[in-house]
Amino acid sequence: MERIAVSELRKTFTLKPGQTITVDGITSNRIAVLDGVDLTINRGEFITVVGPSGSGKSVLLDVIAGLTEATSGIATIDGLHVTKPHARTAYVFQQYALFPWRTALQNVEYALEVRGVATAERREKARYFLHLFGLKGFEDRFPSQLSGGMQQRVAIARALSTDPQVLLMDEPFAALDAQTRDILQSELLRIWEQIKTTVVFVTHSIDEAIYLADRVVVMTARPARVKEIIDIDLSRPRELDVRNSDAFNTYRGRVWESLRDEVSKAQRDWALASSYAN
Amino acid sequence: MSLTIDQSPPIRNALGFRRRSKATKAPTALSETFSTLTIGLPALIAFALLWEVAPRAGWINALFFPPLSRVLATLWEMIMSGQLGEHIGISLQRAAAGFVLAVVIAVPLGLLMGRYSLFEKASDFLVQTLRNTSQFALLPVFILVLGIGEASKIAITFYAAVFFLLINTIVGVKSADPLLIKAARSMGTSDWNMFKKVIFPSAIPSIVAGARLGVKTSLFSVIAAEMLAAQSGIGYLIQHSSLMLETDRMYAGILTLTIIGLLLNYLLVAGERRATHWHSSADSGPN
Ligand SMILES: Nc1ncnc2c1ncn2[C@@H]1O[C@H](COP(=O)(O)OP(=O)(O)O)[C@@H](O)[C@H]1O
Ligand SMILES: [Mg+2]
Repeated sequence: MERIAVSELRKTFTLKPGQTITVDGITSNRIAVLDGVDLTINRGEFITVVGPSGSGKSVLLDVIAGLTEATSGIATIDGLHVTKPHARTAYVFQQYALFPWRTALQNVEYALEVRGVATAERREKARYFLHLFGLKGFEDRFPSQLSGGMQQRVAIARALSTDPQVLLMDEPFAALDAQTRDILQSELLRIWEQIKTTVVFVTHSIDEAIYLADRVVVMTARPARVKEIIDIDLSRPRELDVRNSDAFNTYRGRVWESLRDEVSKAQRDWALASSYAN
Repeated sequence: MSLTIDQSPPIRNALGFRRRSKATKAPTALSETFSTLTIGLPALIAFALLWEVAPRAGWINALFFPPLSRVLATLWEMIMSGQLGEHIGISLQRAAAGFVLAVVIAVPLGLLMGRYSLFEKASDFLVQTLRNTSQFALLPVFILVLGIGEASKIAITFYAAVFFLLINTIVGVKSADPLLIKAARSMGTSDWNMFKKVIFPSAIPSIVAGARLGVKTSLFSVIAAEMLAAQSGIGYLIQHSSLMLETDRMYAGILTLTIIGLLLNYLLVAGERRATHWHSSADSGPN
């Protein structure tokens, strides 16, 4: 039942030479980012994570992805300690991370290619996933010839092509305009309903967090812990206009309530940081 | 809790290399060439006319500056007799041998140096020192060590090209987008595939730009070497004709070199375009 478990996760970065951080008057070259994160995620769950920017959400995903080593505590997938990228974990980034010298089709093929899947098979699979995202006819376009929304569709198609058990998404729609974002949210949900993979989706949009999630995880300001987990009891499949319902409005209030203090705490930190900088 | 962050400014790479901007790609290669031709032609014709008229009118000594028509006639003769082709072939062969050797050594080395900072730190000082030693200053050394034959000529062209390639490969590797590397890592890319499928393609535009510089200096270096110590090649042709006061042959050689340089440049620019063909935004689809 349980797919991802994060317990007592701590992460401290050592800054580069010449960089320092001052916390409560103490100057140091170490920055605590995660401070004991505990989180258990079930199979097939759609989890969204919100928190002030700079709180450590991306670092949390990096640890679950096996890209960054935790300072202490562990992340497990199916009970196994994550120490390196897992073959059945896929990661989608805000800036698409497509290879500019590969066409849309070749980009989707990449993940299968490095797994040693034979050419014919991976081409067929890549084509299937591109079509799933409405990109028929765009197979041979380079990323620079595609709009942002299409590029992110290619990136998600690439992530799903390996049939992942865990899909990590770091503010994937943050760089898109509002309309494209709405469309992609619905598309993602439509496809997720079919494959029911476990999704951990970071966003700074409260509406997006509620609309997509089974549970919304609210993180504290840095150093981050899980502040609160809010169950979202809205029926699926969800239509976009669920966002106008009273229930949605109540959730919006609750998430914002939980997030507000953390955001202002983070803002105070940044205000201080910038006043020092001047 | 109070908090400040001090950050030293990011260090830019020495050459500040960036890919060609999108705007300059708009006109096609052909129409660009055509418009340069039509604008540039009058000046070129004027120069040719002056070259023809000045020695005939006695403004300059026709022995040192034979009229263009005579130079062209000699050039034609040399082409027809096959001598010119032979000289061109030999010079190009030498330049190509040195250049290919430079590619084979500089690109793998540059990939390693760009990727592993320890490797670069260890060799950076040596590279900087060697890079600032002129290949021409080293010609006597090459001749001393390798003899007056082909090897010393290949060595000088190698030396001329290798640092352009090496430095540009390093810059190319370092310009690889960290996000692409992160994404590739998340997909389980092995170290070898990271080089082959991510780092190397990222570095190609920079490597090709380095190759463009390298090819030209290779060719010019071989010409210089042939002037000093050779019995064949365009450099030898120019130098020897000058000694013999066969100035029409000398100018025919110089003209040949100019034409080769122009053609080469055109080919290299076209090659560079091809290598970065994906970097266009000709048309973008709907959202
Ligand atoms: N490699 C690193 N070295 C030092 N500090 C880092 C590193 N990666 C992230 N950080 C710091 O950790 C904090 C959290 O970053 P991040 O996880 O990206 O925040 P967000 O919640 O906005 O995704 C930031 O203050 C950032 O400066
Ligand atoms: Mg982030």
